[in-house]
Amino acid sequence: MIVRMLRVRIAGPRARLDETLGVLQDLAVLHVDRPPVAEAPAPDPGAARERRHLDRALADVETALDRLEAPASARGAAPAWTSVPPLPVLADAMRRARRVRRRADALATRRSALDDERHVLLRYREFFQAFEALLGHELTWPDGQAFYVVLRRGSGGAVDDVRGSLEAALGGEVELLARALSTGETAVLILASAAAAPRVSSLLAAARVDELPAPAGLGETNLLRALPAIRARLDAIAREERAVDADRAALARSEDDWLAGVRAWLRDRLAQLDARACAWAAEHLFIIEGWLPAARLGDLQARLAASLGPAVVVSPLGAEDWRDEHAPVTLRNPPLFRPFEVLTRMLPLPRYGTIDPTPFVALFFPALFGLMLGDVGYGLMLAALALVLRVRSTPDSALRSVSLVALACASSAVVFGVIFGEFFGSLGARVGLHAFVDREQATIPFLGFAIALGGVHILLGLVLAGLGAWRRGHRREAVGRGVTFAMLVLTVLLLLAVFEVLPRRLFTPLVVAVLVAFVVLVALEGLTAVIELLSTFGHILSYARIMAIGTASLMLAVVANQMVGALGSVLVGAVFALLFHLVNFAIGVFSPTIHALRLHYVEFFGQFFSPGGMAYRPFGHWRPTP
Amino acid sequence: METALLGLAAALAIGVPALATAWAQGRIGPAAAASLAEKPELSTTAVILIAIPETMVILGFVVAVMILVGAGG
Repeated sequence: MIVRMLRVRIAGPRARLDETLGVLQDLAVLHVDRPPVAEAPAPDPGAARERRHLDRALADVETALDRLEAPASARGAAPAWTSVPPLPVLADAMRRARRVRRRADALATRRSALDDERHVLLRYREFFQAFEALLGHELTWPDGQAFYVVLRRGSGGAVDDVRGSLEAALGGEVELLARALSTGETAVLILASAAAAPRVSSLLAAARVDELPAPAGLGETNLLRALPAIRARLDAIAREERAVDADRAALARSEDDWLAGVRAWLRDRLAQLDARACAWAAEHLFIIEGWLPAARLGDLQARLAASLGPAVVVSPLGAEDWRDEHAPVTLRNPPLFRPFEVLTRMLPLPRYGTIDPTPFVALFFPALFGLMLGDVGYGLMLAALALVLRVRSTPDSALRSVSLVALACASSAVVFGVIFGEFFGSLGARVGLHAFVDREQATIPFLGFAIALGGVHILLGLVLAGLGAWRRGHRREAVGRGVTFAMLVLTVLLLLAVFEVLPRRLFTPLVVAVLVAFVVLVALEGLTAVIELLSTFGHILSYARIMAIGTASLMLAVVANQMVGALGSVLVGAVFALLFHLVNFAIGVFSPTIHALRLHYVEFFGQFFSPGGMAYRPFGHWRPTP
Repeated sequence: METALLGLAAALAIGVPALATAWAQGRIGPAAAASLAEKPELSTTAVILIAIPETMVILGFVVAVMILVGAGG
């Protein structure tokens, strides 16, 4: 549900502005908003300068924390500054942060360079291992020259082309040896006599084949003779990497907590400057305005009175009765529904005064999912996965919410599985399940039920749309939604009368009622209402997918079970059946999730959901995101 | 003969929408992937857009089932 907000004005003597901001930050309940005064306060050059300095310092601190690989959530030991520290203390801290950042930067750069060098040398090493056995060949031409080439992956045919070209041009003066590398590349060693070497070099250049150069910095230009030097360098790199890692760990141990503390203080101070910029301050008076949950007004008044006395006054500016679209939005749902906010938060926040769909998603999402999957076996598998996810997730994380949603869906699938008598498809009867509704046979009744459920869901959406419009004072729109609701109900009743489910004598009165409702609807909402009405019928029919996906899932499971006897060997059949069930389980979880989401986001939310709400961000102390 | 024609009708009822869905998803998928590369926050919209053409094959399946059930198969 969207929390009811209240706009308040806090007024007090100018001298106590900073103190008031401090109390507000500690309480963390007010979403500060600029007062709607005609004359905007002149920008404070001192505050702008301070903000620039603090922004730079924050960049230093965050870069240093990033280089030291401190977790973003590290809170750290906050520096013992409860207010703005004296300038020299602040300047010292900023210098220390810059120094740590430079040191962390240097270590990170060094580590990255060593890593790059190691990768390059490892590439050479593999090349040499491929050719080590051929070292003797080079000695057959003591005054000759060796060329080392690595051909790209998939260019195996190019070796023959190069060999053919070289032999055609130079005859027996050249020899080419090739080995495939584990990377898919091909290492090529070309040995040429002293007389043929310049010609080989020019042919390679003309063919745009680059020679592998000897690694720089080893003091050896001949590749094969560089091998011992490469090995020694790889050992040295490993030692240097360990030393850099140790330095970085030591730096992190000594500075991480301090840096995290400074980051928290800097973020708090920047938030204070933002709040200060929103306050209206004259020579003797300040005014701060903002929004808070209506239920927290007492807390705010009590805290300000206790901390600042009667000099600072809080005045409510009136509950906006859900009509102020500038009010920030925060959702508060019962613990049972709260995990489902993970599904509604995939869309933008609803606007203030409209309806939060979370409680309805919490009821209908698992129900639709269970109707589609509807199998005790698959439901239990999903429940096991959900429990594993729950154990591995941290409290209040998105993953924990997902695990709880999955658990609700799994429970629903088990319940509907019992109703349908399904256990891995058609094995239900063998484990003693009785099918109260046989989905395999009762396809048409199941289709009717799916569409009827869609009708109920869409009608609920229309009711919510009407209530939301009424609450925001849009009476005409609310009546329009009500008439659309009546049109849908009357049309269903009319169809029931046509098919003689209801007494035939109701046909004429229902036709008259539908026509009257139609005229009223067009009068209220114009001709677009006709198109909307047709699309609403389309939305209801869209729920037929519940039957289609459910039946398809059941048929796949039945086919999997039939594999056991169909493949000759029972063992082979059972293995195939298990694999097929696994595939069906993956499809059976993915497809109902996507389609239950779609039925909510497109069909249900389409009736009433109004996105675009501004998030409620109370002015408080910085908290790392979990 | 009539059974064969009913079977063919059911096959067409699901086959043609399946081709249409595949064609639509084949065009939406790459566009969605390209959008997500630039704006990952559009993932919900992308999922919905990819799921929308499935309505065709799902309704085709429903029609095919109704043909077969109506034929007593």
